[in-house]
Amino acid sequence: MTRSERPLRAVLLERLTKASPQFGLFLIIVLFWVLFSSLAPGFLSRFNLNSLGRTLGIDIVIGLSQMVVLATGGMNLSVGAIGVCAVMLFGYLLQTLGLPIPVAVAGALAGGAALGWLNGFAIVKTGVNSFIVTLASASLYSGGMLILTKAVPFNGVPPAIGQFGRSGLFGVPAITLVALAVGLVLLVIYRFTRFGREALATGANLRAAEMSGVRVGRVLVLSHTLSGLLAAIAAVLLTARLGAAMPSVGGDDWLLPSFLAPVLGGTLLAGGVVSVVGTMLGALLVTTIRSGLLVLQIGNFWLQLFLGIILLAAVLLERYRSSLALRSRGMRP
Amino acid sequence: MRRALSQLLTVEWSGILVAVLAGAVALAIASPPFLTEFNLFVFLRSVCVTLLVAYAQMVTLGVGQLNLAVGALGGLVAIIVGGLMDRLGVPVILAVPAGLAVGGLAGFLNGWLTVRTGINGFIVTLATASAFTGINLGITHSIPFYNLPAGFVGFGAGRIGIFPYLLIVPLIVTGLLALFFARTVPGRQLLAVGGNPNAAQLSGVSPSRAVIVAHVLSGLLSAAAAILAVAQLGSAQPTIGSDWLIISFAAPIIGGASLTGGHISIFGTLLAVLLVALIQNGMVLVKVDPYWVQFLLGALILAAVWVNRFRAVRLGTD
Repeated sequence: MTRSERPLRAVLLERLTKASPQFGLFLIIVLFWVLFSSLAPGFLSRFNLNSLGRTLGIDIVIGLSQMVVLATGGMNLSVGAIGVCAVMLFGYLLQTLGLPIPVAVAGALAGGAALGWLNGFAIVKTGVNSFIVTLASASLYSGGMLILTKAVPFNGVPPAIGQFGRSGLFGVPAITLVALAVGLVLLVIYRFTRFGREALATGANLRAAEMSGVRVGRVLVLSHTLSGLLAAIAAVLLTARLGAAMPSVGGDDWLLPSFLAPVLGGTLLAGGVVSVVGTMLGALLVTTIRSGLLVLQIGNFWLQLFLGIILLAAVLLERYRSSLALRSRGMRP
Repeated sequence: MRRALSQLLTVEWSGILVAVLAGAVALAIASPPFLTEFNLFVFLRSVCVTLLVAYAQMVTLGVGQLNLAVGALGGLVAIIVGGLMDRLGVPVILAVPAGLAVGGLAGFLNGWLTVRTGINGFIVTLATASAFTGINLGITHSIPFYNLPAGFVGFGAGRIGIFPYLLIVPLIVTGLLALFFARTVPGRQLLAVGGNPNAAQLSGVSPSRAVIVAHVLSGLLSAAAAILAVAQLGSAQPTIGSDWLIISFAAPIIGGASLTGGHISIFGTLLAVLLVALIQNGMVLVKVDPYWVQFLLGALILAAVWVNRFRAVRLGTD
């Protein structure tokens, strides 16, 4: 049977099942953009796109911060806690110590990476599940931060920070550009470096990776350090967007977005598979829906409901699609 | 004597029991107001809601699942019960069962979705938690319900000596849960599935059914916790449940539950809740920054898993 004789349905099915999950996600995003821009013309306004872009940049980095740990088959519930610690450390270095901005940025990033390293170290040394360790460390970190700062925000950070948050290049907000650059670096790490391959091998099958000579402990610690570093980058971007360092940001608020972006983007919770582009698209979908509902004045109240339903629907759809793909190749799902 | 002692040491909750007793004695010496009638009442009242929250997570841990939606589910039940009584004038006797029914139903949804779709329970309950919170905020717009029947609020505030009326609920629940896990078929099956789903299935136990039973039970317990919280606060706050997540995992795990399922300890969980309440109460009495509670809770969880692991290695069960 030649290709042209096959019924349309089979061809469509093949297209659908052979395309990458990221392509499906992209289609859904386009659909939402068409829907929102036709329902509310304000959606495509310069102002809205600008604010959408800045939120998107931060959501992308938060998602990537979770993704690098998911890659190894673990999870990091302390992404938000590390983020808020980095926010306050950044504010402290800038305002109280009066350090120049580049030094303060480096300090905040180092602080985030150190907290991530601590997570990885505790997980590897005790052999306890990453869920429990990061649940506990989230409580430790945010508790420690509140004890040290007394929950007083740093409102006097240099205006240049806020200016950076508002600036842009060719109409693209600087925050979004930073996020894209970070994504590019991670793309290179997971495609081309030994660490990237070893992290994925560890996530796919820890025992097998260990037997093939991967130093699993080191990979896990490094992945958690990277996760902490990324959380701190998100924290610095957030400080730039708000123009102040506040203790109320982050925390539990980052938990859902941090999982939404990678899981929508096709990163497996079981580990071994990551998609940097998928995570970015996942973050874009979440930001699109949030922004669209705001413009439509449905407001923030129902947003959580929609996000929950979309997460379930997306995971279900992907499951259905991959089982179709297996069946069309003559395998049992 | 020595044998009895070494046997006691192998019991997983022995360490927490010592910590609770030592903590209570130390606190009584450091701060005499600890032993006043009113403070002991406040202490016991703070245990009531937390204990039910801890049990709600414990039953899902028992079957080898987890439930990130305990808090969101509790918040939803709280505002539904509050809304029924405040806006619709539904009597307490009907509003409470309605709240429990919503909790059970929401729990069933969690379990059913986990079993039917095969999606990781973590993602399922993360999603439903978001959905429940969304419904809660959509209904209330973050505005609490204040006009609750006087009898209901009175039950939340009343006491006999140091014993709050509220305490009766967690006491009954503790007894029922102990009976459920020790003596009933669904209870034993739940733990069997948690211990080894394949072995359980081969022995004719349905893992799917056990998972759904655990989630329904978890939903009912969260709902009960939420209703007590409304009675205790005297108003149905939409924020009820928003801070339950960490304690819900902390208490069963400090109490000796294994995260992989199949093993729980009701008494251990009870002691862990007492320990955390003791720390909270102590912080207030000696006027330490309340933020220390959060910090210590994290440290306690880490210490507990580390000790449990150490013991497992020592006893050669690992």
